[in-house]
Amino acid sequence: MRINRLKLQFFRNHEETEVQFAPHLNLFTGPNGAGKTNLIDAIHYLCMTRSFVASSDQYVAHHDEKYFMIDGDFEGEIRSSFKVSCSYSRGEGKKIFVNDSPLDRLSDLIGMIPVVVLSPEDRKLTSEGPAERRSFLDSMISQISPKYLRDLIKFRKIRKQRNKLLQEYQGPLSMLKSYLEPWDVQLAQTGTAIIFKRAQVLEKFKEYLAIQYQSITGLNLEPTLRYESICDKYDSHEQIHEEYVNQIESNFEKEAEREQTIIGPHRDEVVFYLGDIELRNYGSQGQHRLFSMALKMAQLFYYSDELDDLPIMLLDDVFGNLDQQKIDVITEALTKHSGQTFITSASERPFDQEMFKGSEQNVWFTVENGTVSSKF
Amino acid sequence: MQITSEALERAIEELAKLPGTGRKSAQRIAIHLLKQTDEHVSKLADALIQLKKSVTRCSVCGTITDTDPCSICSNHKRMNGVVCVVEEFQDVYIIEKTNEFRGRYHVLGGTISPLENIGPDDIRIKELLDRIADEDESIEEVILALNPDAEGEATSYYINKLLKNYEIEITRIAYGIPMGTELEFIDEATLSRAFASRTSF
Repeated sequence: MRINRLKLQFFRNHEETEVQFAPHLNLFTGPNGAGKTNLIDAIHYLCMTRSFVASSDQYVAHHDEKYFMIDGDFEGEIRSSFKVSCSYSRGEGKKIFVNDSPLDRLSDLIGMIPVVVLSPEDRKLTSEGPAERRSFLDSMISQISPKYLRDLIKFRKIRKQRNKLLQEYQGPLSMLKSYLEPWDVQLAQTGTAIIFKRAQVLEKFKEYLAIQYQSITGLNLEPTLRYESICDKYDSHEQIHEEYVNQIESNFEKEAEREQTIIGPHRDEVVFYLGDIELRNYGSQGQHRLFSMALKMAQLFYYSDELDDLPIMLLDDVFGNLDQQKIDVITEALTKHSGQTFITSASERPFDQEMFKGSEQNVWFTVENGTVSSKF
Repeated sequence: MQITSEALERAIEELAKLPGTGRKSAQRIAIHLLKQTDEHVSKLADALIQLKKSVTRCSVCGTITDTDPCSICSNHKRMNGVVCVVEEFQDVYIIEKTNEFRGRYHVLGGTISPLENIGPDDIRIKELLDRIADEDESIEEVILALNPDAEGEATSYYINKLLKNYEIEITRIAYGIPMGTELEFIDEATLSRAFASRTSF
């Protein structure tokens, strides 16, 4: 999959910007605050319906404006050419259009244009709480399985309904139980589907992770991961479902007392290890950074094998903190990835001009004050 | 801004409260009405007043009607033994348009949703049980035709459980592939459900 043209209106510091991209490597250099990250964040909007930097759409509109607009022309293996647009205004909120017709649900866009982002924020993945890892996992699986995303949305709804019952119900416990039952059945059904899928994906994903970690670090420390959910084994759907139903049953009183749903994939954890040590508690800063980088590179190559379309890769300001040897490893890996890649960097030093001069595959852009121009 | 007609302003405000009408459309409608003849506008006003005055709920099935019981419940040619349970009266209208279903209806008036403070007692489940217990109705089959979302499923489940105590058949409408589409455009969830509830050829 690749994006050939991007047009922005009032998107952060881009008042009006239009750029034609190269099919392989697109490099953006320029001073801090020039608008480099904003460019690739706009691409991220067209893939995932939201920013990978800002928490809310309203901060994304250009300072004086109440709306923004992003337009992109894409080209893929299955759909040879299509247009995706995203518009936001304070009154009407966010809308996504594919070939000018609006999507009923924003979530219908996800998976259409697979994307992988590497950014300095990634260190949270391994160093912070389990919610970070669940959201990485959810975003990774949602892009390859629309059913998974639908299950997630449905599960969230069921859990909300169920929590409300647990919080507000005042009558006898036996009545509460019969009111919960219609939700319990669906909770177990949808929750099982989520857990089973997570286990399946992680089983494959960990092989990619091992390869990427070793190629980035050159070390023999084997990275592993353990998926922790409601049971010990995740081999079959039926087995997980049975366990789920049992645990809802045996935790009824606890849930009634705590007034919330405590059994389910919303409490899952993925524990990362380097050799024998648990990364989150004992890893050094450097190990965290390289591990999270390996996670994203693994996602890239996992997608490449799993999907018909190669993912779009976005690297935001990740070269600044790396030594030249690591930079070389990453650049080499990216050259192996024949899909489209976008890189932002404040420094020009790590990049070889010869790769861009006279090339039709790669373009080097310089960005200044929200204006983009090609360097050569 | 200075307003020269308080009446126009009031009409716009009222119209703007309608679903799907913003202030701009409301303005257009109000100005359009101003240009019409008195007779035309009176007809519209009368239709609106009658809508609220004469439309009531059918005391049997709960759908909207001008006469109680509604024309479906009082039609002796329809199969008395089969009752189709739906969420809202619009669903009756939609199913009727197919001309396929010849039984009668039961409108719940919503689905169970704790988030909106709607429990089983707030929708017409008790009325359904009364109808089943009523020997004059002689109901033999209940078809559940609720939306396949979390709330619809929960409500279907709840009703199904209650009805198991009665000697009647409980069915639900099938999940499947919409007509006139191609398989490649069907989402996975629908397709896997369609497989699970496949029928013999």
